[in-house]
Amino acid sequence: MEISTEKSLWYLFIEGDLNAFSSLFKHFYPMLYNYGLKISGNTELTEDSLQSFFVYLHEHRHTIGKVSNIKAYLFISYRRNLLNNLKKERKYTTYDDSSILESNFSLSIEELSSKQETFKLKSAILLKLLNSLSAREREAIYLKYYSNLNTKEIADVMDITYQSVLNTLQKAFTKLRNKSESRLIQNIINT
Amino acid sequence: MKNIDQHFLENLIEDQSFINWIKKSNRNDIQYWNSWISKNPEQIETIELAKSLVLGIRFKETVIDEKKIDKELQKALSSIHLKSKPTLPIYKQKKSFISYGIAATILIIIGLFLGLQQYNTTTVHKTAYGEIINLTLPDGTSVVLNGNSTISYDKENSRDIKLIGEAYFKVKPIPSTKAKFWVTTNDLKVEVYGTHFHVNTRDEKTDVVLDEGSIHLVLDNGITKKMIPGEFVSFSKNTENITHKKVNLQVPYSLWRDGTYIFNNLTLKEVMKNMEYTYGISTNFKTKELEKKLISGGIPNKNLKICLAAIEKSANVKIIQTNNTLTIINNN
Repeated sequence: MEISTEKSLWYLFIEGDLNAFSSLFKHFYPMLYNYGLKISGNTELTEDSLQSFFVYLHEHRHTIGKVSNIKAYLFISYRRNLLNNLKKERKYTTYDDSSILESNFSLSIEELSSKQETFKLKSAILLKLLNSLSAREREAIYLKYYSNLNTKEIADVMDITYQSVLNTLQKAFTKLRNKSESRLIQNIINT
Repeated sequence: MKNIDQHFLENLIEDQSFINWIKKSNRNDIQYWNSWISKNPEQIETIELAKSLVLGIRFKETVIDEKKIDKELQKALSSIHLKSKPTLPIYKQKKSFISYGIAATILIIIGLFLGLQQYNTTTVHKTAYGEIINLTLPDGTSVVLNGNSTISYDKENSRDIKLIGEAYFKVKPIPSTKAKFWVTTNDLKVEVYGTHFHVNTRDEKTDVVLDEGSIHLVLDNGITKKMIPGEFVSFSKNTENITHKKVNLQVPYSLWRDGTYIFNNLTLKEVMKNMEYTYGISTNFKTKELEKKLISGGIPNKNLKICLAAIEKSANVKIIQTNNTLTIINNN
């Protein structure tokens, strides 16, 4: 979706146009759904909360204020919404967001493309390495390369600073590089 | 993380020229970075890490069945029609009167703000230092706005623009009504039907370069000028200086918009002026001779650090940055 069409759709949506609402729904539903599923690991909860999230957006559209980046705005609000729902569901009230997220964002082999340019590793090995990263590192990687958010947007979504997003990504890739190198060396020794 | 130049890495991953090199999409950038790396082998670790950060991990998209999305959409639409409350409200249920009071006040403020916005009918686009944006105006005209620049226009009429800074316009002609398009600066007014041209108001004067079509200028002192393609006019209200000449190579004036400044035998002084306006910095020359050094070639302009490194190399000088001031000294 071109940025300008996205903006005009958003404007019409705020005005109460249900066709615009439907277009936005269709466009953003898949990426928000996939993201939600990664956070909650629960299809039913993801579906329900996304459903009510969109209805809520429509109902409260007049109080939304100025949104400069629609995609980031939706990711931020939906994430917050879903985390609140998760807290209720699991009676997690005393825990903070990061402990809820701790077990999430594990990736599966179907989600990895077999053509990797950065690491010439078998998907299974790369998957193992990725899943050995911290949940925060996995979320940052997921948002950047799966959801195609930029660094500023990731910072807003994860509610951390621009600098920590960069550090997180860097640490993740340094770890991956080190591990993939030692893998390669091991393979050479073994053969 | 040893051998990683943190600041440089951050600049690299946002730099279009560097990304072009990784994606092998621009021959100039490929040449530039290949030679840069061979001359700076100590940066190889940083380059490698930046490269993996840009390339990242490749994912396959999990496709969601369209029928399912439609079904969910219908569900959402029917809840909207029923005006039923969401099943999982975002706010907590229990709230004191005080928080309702606060919420109500906030709503009133937001309401007032929205109400006031409706009276404000001017649209403004502003770029930060070093930022370049592409805009399409409501009439279909496209504008590339260079860093630290502002355009504004009345919402009702996007064909009457005010400009401070530097911009390139591709005006969409409207043959049926022959609607004119105006760009007004501090010094003059440009009047066109449909054409491509470049306007720069930095340095207390306005420069106009015409690429295509024809335009009329109405200078602040009442004089009108007609321009034909390939011409350059510069006028300053304060000094009443007019320059009207043919430019063989338009490149020094217009190629910044591809993310690269192309300089064609420009003095280092003029080059640094460009940097000052784009990045909001000031420069000091250690000696007068340094100002006169000539520079030719392309310099990526989206990133100050890389930009300066390129200038250092091509002018054979050293640039020292302290806060917002650059000092240029001889490279000995």
